[in-house]
Amino acid sequence: MSREGAVRRRALAALVPLTVVFLLSAGAVLGSDRSPTRLALRLSWAAPTAARPFGSGDAGIDVLAVVSHATLSALGLAAVVSVFGFVVGTPLGTSAALRGGAVERFTLRAADLVQAFPTFLLALAVLSAVKQPTRVHLAGLFALSSWAPFARLSLVQARAIAGAPFVEAARALGATETRVVFDHVLPNVLAPVAVQLGTAAAGVVLGETALGFVGLGPADGVSLGVLLEQGTAGMIRAPHVLVAGAAAVIAVSASLQTASEGLRRWATREG
Amino acid sequence: MRSGSSGRLAGVLGATRSAGGPLLSAFVVLLVLASLVFFSLRILPGDPSTLVLGDGAREADRVALRARLGLDRPLAVQYAHFVVGLATLDLGDSLTRPGVPAFREVRRALGPTAELAGVAVLLGAVLGVALALLAVGPWFGQRREWIHRLLIALAATPLVAFAPIVTFVLAVRLRLVPLPGDPDSGPSGLLFASGLLAIPLAAQVGRIGRAALLEQAKQKFLDVAAAKGATPLRVWVIHALPVASGPIFVVVATQLGALLGGAVVLERLFERPGLGSLMLNAYAARDLPVLEAAVVASGGLFVLAQGAASVVTALLDPRGLP
Repeated sequence: MSREGAVRRRALAALVPLTVVFLLSAGAVLGSDRSPTRLALRLSWAAPTAARPFGSGDAGIDVLAVVSHATLSALGLAAVVSVFGFVVGTPLGTSAALRGGAVERFTLRAADLVQAFPTFLLALAVLSAVKQPTRVHLAGLFALSSWAPFARLSLVQARAIAGAPFVEAARALGATETRVVFDHVLPNVLAPVAVQLGTAAAGVVLGETALGFVGLGPADGVSLGVLLEQGTAGMIRAPHVLVAGAAAVIAVSASLQTASEGLRRWATREG
Repeated sequence: MRSGSSGRLAGVLGATRSAGGPLLSAFVVLLVLASLVFFSLRILPGDPSTLVLGDGAREADRVALRARLGLDRPLAVQYAHFVVGLATLDLGDSLTRPGVPAFREVRRALGPTAELAGVAVLLGAVLGVALALLAVGPWFGQRREWIHRLLIALAATPLVAFAPIVTFVLAVRLRLVPLPGDPDSGPSGLLFASGLLAIPLAAQVGRIGRAALLEQAKQKFLDVAAAKGATPLRVWVIHALPVASGPIFVVVATQLGALLGGAVVLERLFERPGLGSLMLNAYAARDLPVLEAAVVASGGLFVLAQGAASVVTALLDPRGLP
């Protein structure tokens, strides 16, 4: 078997956990008429049963329904935000690297600062204008900082490539600057930068969970963070809520990390 | 070659000169953050007085509140007033606790959060460096690869998921540690909460520290030290660790934002007083002066800590200075 084939197989294998998480939650959402918001006071904090495999939470919500709907919506939010960051940040970083000088230094410093800045403070600053955030507000909030890692990575990558002999050769052969950027620099920047998508998505999922946990979650309460908060409040009576919430968060974040690690190995052709 | 002391002096001068950039960017960051808080409340659709008082409030109450917060004046005047208020640390009184200045509330909340975060940084750095040393040193033989895997697994485990579980097992089921929200829990409660907060930091410090130490292991001076009869402990701790400390400081600095987020989660989990609890309560009650003061103050602390870290890094390794 060729080495290239083995590398591709391992990269595909790294996508398996994410696919399983996605299919399981999509199956639970589409395959049943469980509602994540319907209350059944009689079942408040009830332990898992055959009808409700993950048990019931506060006011008798179906924990399985919350976990599956919240996982799907977290994955959706993460996908939208990280693709947005990729689309905005990559051209930004690449052009800053090609421009060089003060523009490059400023972009790098701004990206560093935005990346390290506490999401929580940004969230309070922006969300203070609304009564209860919706998913659109949350997406806008995460989009504010999502470009930074992509810009930083593409800047470093483009700087290395801009000085490469094949780019110099293209210039010497009379290629226009636009052609150099689109035909020679960007294609070599995209693959290593796209690897960041998985890490960025995991960051969004955890950020959304943390905000939900501290009470800045979406108004309908369908969020892994809100479920964790509920599980914490009821941990003595009904530990199953906490366990289900924590397991879901860990599964989503670990599967995204595994996928991104697989992508990285594939992009760098590392076995 | 410069002598040691003048080299050190040049390092200090370079570090302060390079701190000019961070200082300027710190100022810009604070202004952007403060303006964001200010304008998101006043520009976005929705009446702040309705947000504070609720939909059912009487018009007279609303008018009174708008006058008290200055919302009836032109936006430019409000903004100028706000900036002056920030500069003089006076954003008016808390709405929920009349008569108490907003910044006094912030100062009171600062102590517990500083304790929590300070102990966590200390624990995280020490634990992380220890794990990094174990992961490169000869003490575990081939099994040191397991420490590396442990570091990766810990770095990927989200605090918001494991902190409630660990608390449930250790504090509620086994009763090995007190609940840190309990006023009687004292130092051991603080230690437990800081320990939880320190774990993600330790994982990051351990990963970066391991890479930095392995980079040093390629250098000849470690072989020289070993050939002169130094024990492995001495080689790694006395000779390799100081040279590798630059990246470790940098990683601690980049983790400060995450640390603040983690502190907020833990304060909520344990119902501990602190900056996070203050901000969340102010947000829930729409106590705008306190919210503005607390957000700007925490942003300032974050930027300050980042600047301090960059000065320390520059002192440790002046080579990168312009």
